[in-house]
Amino acid sequence: MPDVVASMKRFEPELILTGALLLVVVADATGARWRDVASRILTIGGLALALVRSVELRGGSAQVFGGMAVIDPLASFFEALLIGASLLVVLAFTFRNSRELHGLGQGEFYSLMLAVTLSNILLATANDLAMLYLALEMVSITSYVMVAYMKGDRMSNEASLKYILFGAVSTGAMLYGLSFLYGLTGTTSLPAIREFLAAGVTDSNRFAIYAIALLVFAGFGFKTATVPFHFWCPDVYQGAPTPVTAFLSVAPKAAGFAIMMRFFYTGLAVPRTGPWDLAGTIDWVRVLMVVSVLTMTVGNVAALTQTNMKRLLAYSSIAHAGYIMMGVVALSQNGARALMIYLLAYLFMNLGAFLVVTLVHLHDGTFDLRDYPGLYRRSPLLTVAMAIFLLSLMGIPPLVGFMGKLYVFAAIIERGPAYFWFAAVGAVNAAIAAYYYARVLKTMVIDTAPVEKPPFRLAFPDAAWVWILLLGNVLPLVWWARIDGWARTSLSLYAGP
Amino acid sequence: MSAEAAVFYLFAAITVFSGGVVVLARSLIYSAFALLFTFFGVAGLYVLLGADFLAATQLLIYVGGILVLLLFGVMLTHKLYDLDLRSEVTQFLPGIIVAAGLFAILSAIGLRTRWAVGPGRPPSVTTAEIGRLFMSQYLLPFEAASILLLVALMGAAMIVRRRRDA
Amino acid sequence: MMVGLSHYLVVSSALFSLGILGILTRRNAVNVLMGVELVLNSANLNLVAFSRFGSGNLQGQLFAVFVIVIAAAEVAVALAIVLTLYRLRRTPNLDETDILRG
Repeated sequence: MPDVVASMKRFEPELILTGALLLVVVADATGARWRDVASRILTIGGLALALVRSVELRGGSAQVFGGMAVIDPLASFFEALLIGASLLVVLAFTFRNSRELHGLGQGEFYSLMLAVTLSNILLATANDLAMLYLALEMVSITSYVMVAYMKGDRMSNEASLKYILFGAVSTGAMLYGLSFLYGLTGTTSLPAIREFLAAGVTDSNRFAIYAIALLVFAGFGFKTATVPFHFWCPDVYQGAPTPVTAFLSVAPKAAGFAIMMRFFYTGLAVPRTGPWDLAGTIDWVRVLMVVSVLTMTVGNVAALTQTNMKRLLAYSSIAHAGYIMMGVVALSQNGARALMIYLLAYLFMNLGAFLVVTLVHLHDGTFDLRDYPGLYRRSPLLTVAMAIFLLSLMGIPPLVGFMGKLYVFAAIIERGPAYFWFAAVGAVNAAIAAYYYARVLKTMVIDTAPVEKPPFRLAFPDAAWVWILLLGNVLPLVWWARIDGWARTSLSLYAGP
Repeated sequence: MSAEAAVFYLFAAITVFSGGVVVLARSLIYSAFALLFTFFGVAGLYVLLGADFLAATQLLIYVGGILVLLLFGVMLTHKLYDLDLRSEVTQFLPGIIVAAGLFAILSAIGLRTRWAVGPGRPPSVTTAEIGRLFMSQYLLPFEAASILLLVALMGAAMIVRRRRDA
Repeated sequence: MMVGLSHYLVVSSALFSLGILGILTRRNAVNVLMGVELVLNSANLNLVAFSRFGSGNLQGQLFAVFVIVIAAAEVAVALAIVLTLYRLRRTPNLDETDILRG
């Protein structure tokens, strides 16, 4: 009992989110006229409060709730990132500025947002196989529902069907792998698993470990949309309502990388020598490198021919997951830090791009790039903002996207000459990506529309959020030392009792 | 052959054979009922493994809940008077090669690997212990699962509900 | 011969393979779901068998209980989506879902 009470104190953000979730459900159930406004206020308030408490409570390293979850600086970092992402999405994308969501129920949407945020946090802090699987499925199931939100729309329905079937298979395979891991080590607790594996892996167990890694990676690959588990991504991103797509592209992906890091570094690392030496049964590095290269390349090459903005950004997302994996490949303190910084940068770049796409859809009703010419004349703010977001995605200094890529490349290169070819592939990919980002930019700025369309008037809140995300891409450079410091101090993973 | 072995082979046969019917049968209804037998077979195996609470849960939830839901799904997605309920199979050959390969590999791993050796757990009543664990060590997943169920059911109901006037 | 861990593992790998076969070859979405259930059951069988013969703790069984709960939630949402698919298109077949292509 005392353990539970002590754990709850550290779990305040999650409890706040749960409370907000229940309040929103109740508010929505009343059927009163004010329930939509109330839901929105409760959600924003809940997320903001959780974020504040999460930042205040950070520090310290301990297992909570009987070893099911772990609160350490890394967990606090990801908590802040994940709650922040949800907060940004809820604030910037509203039912008013997203044409796809017009007329749909608001209460359910907000309760889903709160639930998925809670699930993301549980995933990032999971310390036990059962908790890991439960949290993973919680994130997935709430995402399936959110993708299916436009229930009258064929594309949304088809997208959610593909998503759920693909997801169920991937996580089912992962579960089989986790069951093998339990059988091999006799425990479902990650620190205990690590202890067991570090004692040495015999030849007879080697194949089991290979199979486990493969199966488990099916689940992680699905969540982070890396090759070859990325097939659901373009269809789902295209079919889902754009705010949901924007959210999916940043938050569950970040949570997926967090748990991937934790699983490999806590579960499979050799104790007492730090988290960066993995139980040397497989050449993890080579495998992860191949995955990273394939992911980047597939994403970038496929994006070259896209004309649907949502699909284009989907493939761009896949490619970025490849870059983020470079941080995983580096298998070092710097690599993990690069991963965290990249995710932070990616949040602002991607949300910005999706916000612009949503606003264009609001005014013009189209997601097709071929309808984008002449945008510069009609809304200079939107075009300039999109330019900043695209340049950031490309990795052009001094934008935040450049910092992300810089860290990742630095982490790889400092590992030695054996990694140089890998960095080179990354650089080539960035160049390929620049082509399609530039193509969007060119269409918006230089191309002229065949038919003159009236200029946009952006509503004040929309313009405000465009500005905020824009500054989010530009300003971090000013406070870079603090951000870097924050990432550094967050880098201690709970290493066991 | 001991009684235990006989019962094991019986349930194993029920499970695997029904599983085959689920996957290969022409008619969806046959698949659904075969699934019923698969779940029963697995529950029987659970009992043999000493997981009494789990076996009961399997029957209650899988058979009583999930299977019924699947049957509803089958019924609601076909016109009732058109008893066609045929379910087609595509790309059978690659599928069966993959499946056979998987079976071979996974069985080999299962047989060859030195799994964790421990005291084992002779069959005993597990319910009380499981209940205790839910309230102590597994409290967090227990509560999280309840949130999951709330949200999943709300979501499923929302998806299926006819569009209401906003 | 004493029934041991290996027997159960073979049964579960058979179930897993059958489930994958169903997922790969079936056109009807509900049938694919049945395949997924087979896969989940096979993993559960593993967990319980390992609990019985290996570690001696109940962690495997507890894990299996949660898997059952998750499966229930998943099936509920999946069927809701399939039902909507049928309402919009009059077919539960997967081959005919091809609007999203590009």
